[in-house]
Amino acid sequence: MDQTDVGKVSRLAERLACHSCDLVFDISVLDDGESASCTRCGEFLTRYRADELERVIAYSSAALILLGLACSYPFMSFKSSGLESTMTLPQTALNLWHYGLPGEALLVGAFIVLIPGLVMLLMLMLAIALVLEKHYRWLRPVGRLLFTLQSWCMVDVYFVGVLVSLVKIGHMATVIMGLSFWAYAVFSLLFVLAISVLDRVQCWHRIEVLSRP
Amino acid sequence: MSDKPKTAASQGLASCHLCLKLVSVDVHVCPRCGSAIHLRKSNSLERTLAFLVTASILYIPANLLPIMITDQLGQPTESTIIGGVVLLIDMGSMPIAAVIFFASVMIPVSKLAMMYYLCWSVRHGPPETARQRTVFYRITEFIGKWSMIDVFVVAILVALVNLNNLLVIRPGTATVAFAGVVIASILAAESFDPRLMWDQQEDNNE
Repeated sequence: MDQTDVGKVSRLAERLACHSCDLVFDISVLDDGESASCTRCGEFLTRYRADELERVIAYSSAALILLGLACSYPFMSFKSSGLESTMTLPQTALNLWHYGLPGEALLVGAFIVLIPGLVMLLMLMLAIALVLEKHYRWLRPVGRLLFTLQSWCMVDVYFVGVLVSLVKIGHMATVIMGLSFWAYAVFSLLFVLAISVLDRVQCWHRIEVLSRP
Repeated sequence: MSDKPKTAASQGLASCHLCLKLVSVDVHVCPRCGSAIHLRKSNSLERTLAFLVTASILYIPANLLPIMITDQLGQPTESTIIGGVVLLIDMGSMPIAAVIFFASVMIPVSKLAMMYYLCWSVRHGPPETARQRTVFYRITEFIGKWSMIDVFVVAILVALVNLNNLLVIRPGTATVAFAGVVIASILAAESFDPRLMWDQQEDNNE
């Protein structure tokens, strides 16, 4: 594919039906940075960004590094009456397992670390392949998995949960934030940015263009 | 625009639920992403109601069973969701009490009530409020996962507060029921098809 074809990616995008009210719109007229919303129900439809993939690569690769940091250092320490206890991020899930709640431990671990980490990894793979304009057979299954898993990430919810727990026990004892806490804070920001930058319609359109013989 | 926009269904088109590609309704597998194509989410109302009923039933043990157990000097104290809120108010932490009350009582209850209403409104609601109801649906869908805050707070406290015999926090069985409520209500929101509310309007126009 040559340079002019890349610019035409948005032009080629056909029509799109609003997924809230089913009205059909022509989205081929979007310029760089423009977004489209449904005129009848107000639902966001799509946004075209020329540098979308580069941004996704930047956010998701940084997010993966920070998640790695967040899993390897102490998250928070709790000090009271000369005693101290420290928790790590994986322990949020693992300790539930110790107390006989393995199912819930799996859910919590999946929602805050495993699925978000996998989503970032799949997003990075997909964006790199699309930037290089290389067609791989795994593009379609990876895309399907990525967009299915997206609604099961609770990175931001967990972070607010951390803040709520801090206020809840802050007056009982001294709580010290570890490196992992700050790494996870930045990770959740990058995660939210990456999710909001990758546009479902544009991404699938690029996959479709690449899959053409 | 000169020509009035029309719905996909009225033109014999269906859109893929995953990649949003528009294809003819006769196509069963999306040519772009390989997902199954349905004109509307299959058995939307039945599935939504099934998940709603599941969530409503689980909400009872979620409130009656202890959500966390605090062992202070070997003395266990069990607390429920409402008990925790009352305790926080007694301690004077009104803002936190309000956050917990909103996340674990207001949001799940109003989300379930709203979803029941939306299901009912597909057949009986006034068609002119379709846009309003779509906005309600979108809000409901967005806030769903935020109810998990309570489960996460317990998981964090359990992992963090572990001072041998002095002070230990253990998770209560209500956390499992509460996680179930959140997951069932997310699935209910995902199964609901907001286009059904607009189809009713289309039918009336014809």
